[in-house]
Amino acid sequence: MLDKIEYDLILVGGGPSCFALAHHLMDLASKSNIKFSMAIIEKSKEFGSHVVSGAVSNLRVIEKLFPDYKSSEFPIEGICTASWFSVLGNKEKWDVPAFLLPNGLKKEGSAILSLSHVVYWMYNKLKEKASKNPNVVIDFFPGFSVHKILFEGNEVIGVQVTEGSNDNGNEPDSNVYAKVTCFGDKGFISRDIIEKFNLRENPQIWSVGVKEVWQLSPEKDYAGKVWHTMGYPLVDGSFGGGFIYGMKDNKLTIGMVISLDSENPNINPQQRLQDYKKHPWIQDMIKDGKMLKYGAAVLPEGGYFSLPKKFAVPGAMLLGDALGVLDIERLSGIDKGMESGYQAAEVLHEAFVKNDFSEVHFLKYKEKVMNSFIGKELKHGRYFRYAWQENPRLLNKYLPEVMDYVDNSNPYFGLFMIPLVTNPIIAIYDAIRLKYLMDGYDIGKIKYTLDYQHIVPNFKQERKLETNNYIKESVYSRPDAVFFAKTKYHEGNKHIDEFDSDVCVKCIADYDELGKDTPCVSDCTAEVHRIDITSGIRIHGMSLENCVQCRTCEIVCPEVNLRVKPTSCGSGPDYMGL
Amino acid sequence: MTQSSLKDIFVLIKQVPDQSAKAGINPDGTIDRAKAKRMLNPFDRYALQAALHTKKHYGGKVTAITMGPPAALEIILEALEHGVDCGYILSDKRLAASDTLATAYALHKVIKYIGHFDLIFCGLQTTDGDTAQVGPQIAERLSLPQTTYCEDFRIEENKVIAKRVVEGGYEWVKMEIPALITVANSYHHLEYKSFRGARMVQHLLRNEEEKNKYIKTITLDTIGAEPAKCGLRGSPTIVARTDKVSEIGGSCKIHQGASQEQLVSEIIQSTNIKEFLKL
Repeated sequence: MLDKIEYDLILVGGGPSCFALAHHLMDLASKSNIKFSMAIIEKSKEFGSHVVSGAVSNLRVIEKLFPDYKSSEFPIEGICTASWFSVLGNKEKWDVPAFLLPNGLKKEGSAILSLSHVVYWMYNKLKEKASKNPNVVIDFFPGFSVHKILFEGNEVIGVQVTEGSNDNGNEPDSNVYAKVTCFGDKGFISRDIIEKFNLRENPQIWSVGVKEVWQLSPEKDYAGKVWHTMGYPLVDGSFGGGFIYGMKDNKLTIGMVISLDSENPNINPQQRLQDYKKHPWIQDMIKDGKMLKYGAAVLPEGGYFSLPKKFAVPGAMLLGDALGVLDIERLSGIDKGMESGYQAAEVLHEAFVKNDFSEVHFLKYKEKVMNSFIGKELKHGRYFRYAWQENPRLLNKYLPEVMDYVDNSNPYFGLFMIPLVTNPIIAIYDAIRLKYLMDGYDIGKIKYTLDYQHIVPNFKQERKLETNNYIKESVYSRPDAVFFAKTKYHEGNKHIDEFDSDVCVKCIADYDELGKDTPCVSDCTAEVHRIDITSGIRIHGMSLENCVQCRTCEIVCPEVNLRVKPTSCGSGPDYMGL
Repeated sequence: MTQSSLKDIFVLIKQVPDQSAKAGINPDGTIDRAKAKRMLNPFDRYALQAALHTKKHYGGKVTAITMGPPAALEIILEALEHGVDCGYILSDKRLAASDTLATAYALHKVIKYIGHFDLIFCGLQTTDGDTAQVGPQIAERLSLPQTTYCEDFRIEENKVIAKRVVEGGYEWVKMEIPALITVANSYHHLEYKSFRGARMVQHLLRNEEEKNKYIKTITLDTIGAEPAKCGLRGSPTIVARTDKVSEIGGSCKIHQGASQEQLVSEIIQSTNIKEFLKL
């Protein structure tokens, strides 16, 4: 008879929030001399290789966790010395003057990071710490993914690591039990807790980020420079924008984040990023450079109003993206993800010391998070995202007009003229309302609807995107981009479920009639979804070996007919360096 | 379920230079194993799977045995992650530059030293030597019945019924236990490592004492082997010369950013496909 696999604590997902938790808990444990065991389960082959992020981040939590980080090879790409928020026209760029910008968009002093490297560094640091503390056992499980949460009544008692059942139909020999399981995933797994306990009054809303890292020609150095942009190439009313971060060694991050609550059923984020690169300003930067890596991931954008009712349920805690602490006002989330782990560690430490694992004790976690900078800043920016959702004129009407002024005359003149040539009362009202909401004035509770419910199948894009001359080698097709995500899958991989193939056939027929691709086909960031023809019927097919596990397809599927599960056997992309 | 039950299953594995990395070559033409990146011999993955299958269906304890420098610990740990129960590493400087005769001599001594076994599994061959001789030689030295190129097998009434790949077909061989099998690469792929195995390995790495219980490092003196029959001295094979045939790899050009027709024509122009088409 095999022994039961048991730990005091399981961390699901080896990301910044779980590693922050583990580090702080270790630091507290080395002072209080408590004994405990912990397992960290991560689906990627190496810690960090499924992590993709911008990333410009405030290092406030890193400073707390590692006071000596500067002298211990902390992987940093640079400190932001200058940042801009710019509106891109089709040809020109306009840097919005600093006095018009919310403080959250001023990034000077923040660190430019490659988050995959930071996570890998945190893993090595933790290994070091663990080897010095004989009271604590930490087992690392990269290359293993959690497939199921084990419940006993209303309590989480552990997780199941292997999928399905064994030859004899028994439960597989990979149930791992723990007093507390912490979820720092992007929702691949923790959604079962959210659903079982009905924790979200407002659904989470998502955006998808696509990112490339480029090696520039040696004479080009943008280290420390940060741009966030709106406008070109998003002229379909989608909320989102681009970002360019200068890294050391003549490298450049180029990315876009596009919200999935778009009316447009065919966003095609990877191709929008290619359009973005066709802008003359960016063309000039990447001329003679070469692409090193590509990756994509979804971001929880709901913020304050999408936070779950409870942050912990009996036997489980939610951290980072599982909780949804991304701050859209500051376009950042890493520091808040880490802080959630930091706060969770304090509550857990107290639980271990007092041997109190009651639900009441864990209520403190939410309280602590909401009293930390997470709660305060998320509360301030609670209407930031909603302001753009409630008023489609901002993105459909005013933004394209500002873009025209950027290209053709003077944007300042445009700010003055737009209200005059449209409806001055409405325009001024819209501007005041936007400012009012972005500054956090209270309008009470708001309601989000799920992203796919915003899709308008017969959506017509009024404004055509005009692209300029560009270097043909600087843009990549979607299948080519997959090459740069370095995906690798095991034989027999099947990590996306399609619930009902007839539903897909109907959806495809509907979109065919409109002359459009289905959202899964068009919005996939990695050429996974395709249409196959079998006995004359157009059916949904998937090239799962391309998948970069961003989960966009599941979010945009108008029929809620897809489910992306974590892959097993360490399969997936290799995002090291993104 | 088990018509026959087994007690001890041995699997012989070897660490080889990683094929994806460039191997270091010594001035004398032998492989510099210290410089090369290392991996578990890919053919041994099938042997490992066969041993683990046997354990699953007929019971028993799987012991992985390897010979090599101390770094060979890595593949024993890898085997443990996959579900092997314990391991032996025969590591001795006097074994350096052994050919198949000397290797088989040393390994058969290890097997005799460990003691009881029902089945021994070997990979078909290694990717560094490519001889496929060590397995059969060990069987001869131990006077065991053997099946090479085995693709499938079952155990009935204390006999192994093995399916052997031969030119143009298969051969079914019935052997008395104990026996030796070299496993063909058409056998099942090695399953992914197990959670329990990965946990075990981390436990052993934390605890030296426990590690020494499960993984034993032995030398020629432990197994009572004659040094004269091992290493360069015991190897009649002489590597006369090593020739570099060609460099593997090279430059890769990605054709992109044009219509499919144009890309295909670019590829045709840049390769010598035209020459083939003429034929």
